[in-house]
Amino acid sequence: MSLVTAKLTEEQIRELKAPAQRERLFRTISYFSPILLLLLWEVASQLNVIDRRFFPPPSAIAGTFWQMITSFEIFDHIGATLRRVSVGYVMGAIPGILLGLVLGLSQPARRVLGPIFAALYPVPKIAILPLILLIFGVGDASKFVVIAIGVFFLLLYNTMGGVMQTPQIYLDVAKNAGATRLQTFFRIALPSALPNIFTGLRLAAGSSYIIIAAAEFLGARSGVGFFIWASWQTFAVSRMFVGIVVISALGYFTILALELIERKLVPWAKH
Amino acid sequence: MSETAIEVRNLTKAFYDADSDRTTIAAYEVEFEVKRGEFVCIVGPSGCGKTTVLRILAGLESKLGGSIDMKSDNPPAMVFQEASVLPWLTVRENVGFPLSLKGVSAAKRRARVDELLELTGLADFADALPHRLSGGMKQRVSVARALVDDREILLMDEPFGALDEQTRLVLQQELLRIWETTGKTVVFITHSVDEALTLADRVLVMSPRPGTIIADLAVPFDRPRDVVEMRRDKRFWDLTYEVWRLLASTSPERHA
Ligand SMILES: Nc1ncnc2c1ncn2[C@@H]1O[C@H](COP(=O)(O)OP(=O)(O)OP(=O)(O)O)[C@@H](O)[C@H]1O
Ligand SMILES: [Mg+2]
Repeated sequence: MSLVTAKLTEEQIRELKAPAQRERLFRTISYFSPILLLLLWEVASQLNVIDRRFFPPPSAIAGTFWQMITSFEIFDHIGATLRRVSVGYVMGAIPGILLGLVLGLSQPARRVLGPIFAALYPVPKIAILPLILLIFGVGDASKFVVIAIGVFFLLLYNTMGGVMQTPQIYLDVAKNAGATRLQTFFRIALPSALPNIFTGLRLAAGSSYIIIAAAEFLGARSGVGFFIWASWQTFAVSRMFVGIVVISALGYFTILALELIERKLVPWAKH
Repeated sequence: MSETAIEVRNLTKAFYDADSDRTTIAAYEVEFEVKRGEFVCIVGPSGCGKTTVLRILAGLESKLGGSIDMKSDNPPAMVFQEASVLPWLTVRENVGFPLSLKGVSAAKRRARVDELLELTGLADFADALPHRLSGGMKQRVSVARALVDDREILLMDEPFGALDEQTRLVLQQELLRIWETTGKTVVFITHSVDEALTLADRVLVMSPRPGTIIADLAVPFDRPRDVVEMRRDKRFWDLTYEVWRLLASTSPERHA
């Protein structure tokens, strides 16, 4: 019985680490790839390939943006939008996830409640916005509610789908280990559905910003959506673009943050 | 020693598939007994209902007819045939899972889990997630998890089926050692006649589907057994022949 001391050559170690390093590089590049689009736009606009009245060059937009930053004007709008999105998001996501777990695990609950949600889901959230404004007024409450409704459905369906895909063997393991219903709920169904829940969270983040923009067009005195609408009314095209860029960036960074959290929380799933 | 731990009478189980309107009889009038502290192996062809019988004993499946009687203070622990480690828990958390459900304190749990990781040779991978383990290591995690809360009855469904010969031999020896020191009652399913004779006090042979018990053979080797040395014994090969003859005589080709 002799034990071999195993040792890798430097070259082998380099080869072993290469895929991970490439992956890191691509991840870094992926953060910056939207910048390429901006560059193209700048050149096209400067060369008058596209109409400057409708598409001012990014540098001009950046100038306007800078003014708005130094005057702190933009931050009030960003703050208002972020507040509405985050409160509405949480208000919709938590019940969506919890109900998704219940419907995913319990067939009777699915039978009884499923058709109700299936009937409500296709209603466009923006179509009911006037109704919500009527009920909750033009204040923040109406924005919270309309976002919460949109987020709720996305999380309900993604969580439910995730739970229903839970391999039977995990449920058997839990049962044999003596898990109560509540323990099965939180320690098997929830982690097993986590990858799907994150898909839902990302989709919901995207749709939240669509909904908030529309909601702020209609009934608000602040927020990035309101700001875009007000710029349109005064034909301030550069300011309009600042608004569009800002709200896109908010969506982009929200989804990026969610992906980072997912990588931390769901290390067992492939990304 | 002659006290009965498991008594199965006339156990019948069928599955019905409404879409194709087909009924499958998975086990038919299965009858056997297992004494307390006994190690019993069930062998039989694929699809004859071995897993089904074990799942019914574990309370994971309902029965259609007959009775089962389990005389033990706690429910049986099961090692599943397919991969059953939870991918979101580390090796340590997987093994300690039954304890954590019962609210055993973290310190106590850790001590017990460490003991089992040592026993199953997983200590170096205690904090790894399962996707980093080999198939054999995952199977060892499942075995360790079934042992962790020290139940009286252990149900094992081809736990070493997916392993290579050498690892399997090591784990068989390990299992025998654990069984000898703990005095658990074990029902162990296997495809392998060789494995059954290596481990069991008694081997139950099942017929092809619909499966029923067609023979109950005592395995005469002394304990503690040496899984390598016992292969020099002529009785080992006589018994091997006997089981093979039983399996072959009921093969569906013969009857058709
Ligand atoms: N949940 C189920 N629904 C329908 N049929 C099933 C189900 N579980 C098992 N069966 C059927 O019952 C029969 C016995 O299955 P079982 O899994 O018990 O066989 P087995 O003896 O364990 O086979 P193997 O050695 O291949 O694991 C098979 O024909 C199988 O198709
Ligand atoms: Mg089986």
